[in-house]
Amino acid sequence: MMLASILVLLVTNPSAVLSEMISCSADALELCIELCAIYAIWLGIMELVDASGLAEKLARLLRPLIKKIFRVEDKETQKLIAMNVSANLLGIGNAATPMGIKSMKALDDGSGKATFAIIMLIVINATSIQLLPTTIIGLRQSAGSANPADIIFPTLLVTIFTTVLGISLVIFIDKILKKIKNKRKAVEVKK
Amino acid sequence: MSVYVLPVLFLCLFTYCIYKKVNTYETFVKGAKGAIKLVVDIFPFIASILIAVGLLKVSGLTEVLANLLSPVFNLLGIPTELCELVLLRPFTGSGSYGILENIFATYGADSYISRCACVIMGCSETIFYVATVYISQTKVKRLLYAIPVALVCSLVGTVLACLICKIL
Repeated sequence: MMLASILVLLVTNPSAVLSEMISCSADALELCIELCAIYAIWLGIMELVDASGLAEKLARLLRPLIKKIFRVEDKETQKLIAMNVSANLLGIGNAATPMGIKSMKALDDGSGKATFAIIMLIVINATSIQLLPTTIIGLRQSAGSANPADIIFPTLLVTIFTTVLGISLVIFIDKILKKIKNKRKAVEVKK
Repeated sequence: MSVYVLPVLFLCLFTYCIYKKVNTYETFVKGAKGAIKLVVDIFPFIASILIAVGLLKVSGLTEVLANLLSPVFNLLGIPTELCELVLLRPFTGSGSYGILENIFATYGADSYISRCACVIMGCSETIFYVATVYISQTKVKRLLYAIPVALVCSLVGTVLACLICKIL
């Protein structure tokens, strides 16, 4: 992707390459400083949620679901995933990210390949199940909409559908891959 | 209504912490401390993805792609006006919010196009950004089928969004 863009720019506007890269990198730095401020608040809040025992309660509530969807047995990891998923549900993606990164670290088996649970977590985060799209409603309100909240219901319908689709697709593909593996093994054994 | 959700949640949390005799201030500080290290760790990944997206935009490739793909998108029921948003959404959050505001300004916040755009934004995520940042602190090199599945779901969501906005 980067290669193709640079190739095109080489023909059309070679001087823009470096200046654009630098300005984007500066944007990234700015974004990171902003994120640092946001994460500081959310990580502080999450630490409180954890220390007060609420995280454990939340995890206990979501445990059957997480066990079934992610196939994770470790209690600490389940807790992290529970917090990530609930932050997503509340529409605070910025709070979900640090928890997501921590969950990923806990799920990593060091093999370099994504495990079933890692894939599932990425897909669930990518289909973004959220109950209240607060940012979008805010933007729409400031753009002068007569009824900025009328997108909540359609968004909810679509997001529930895509999340369910994502989860089923991951489970389905995992099953097929396992079948192929088993067949290969069976063939090798026969040989 | 939604403006009250977070403040009330925070209030409940702090009250609960005091009730549970948690050392609120120290615990908060302990958690907040992790933010700087986390951001330093993920900065290079955020920078490279933003640079890639920036180059893509400046080179004009997104417009070319949008034009090329618009017949396909039209076939799926996605209006031509939304092609750029659909293409850039998986890569950049701030960029796609910019496009959304543009759409509001051009077509009006209550138009069919704008409502579609809102639902698309609400049901999708910056897939590549999320994937890059999430696995940045692990040894995972190959994501296998995670990205294709996420993209397919996003596309299905987009098609569905355009359909539902027509009905509702």
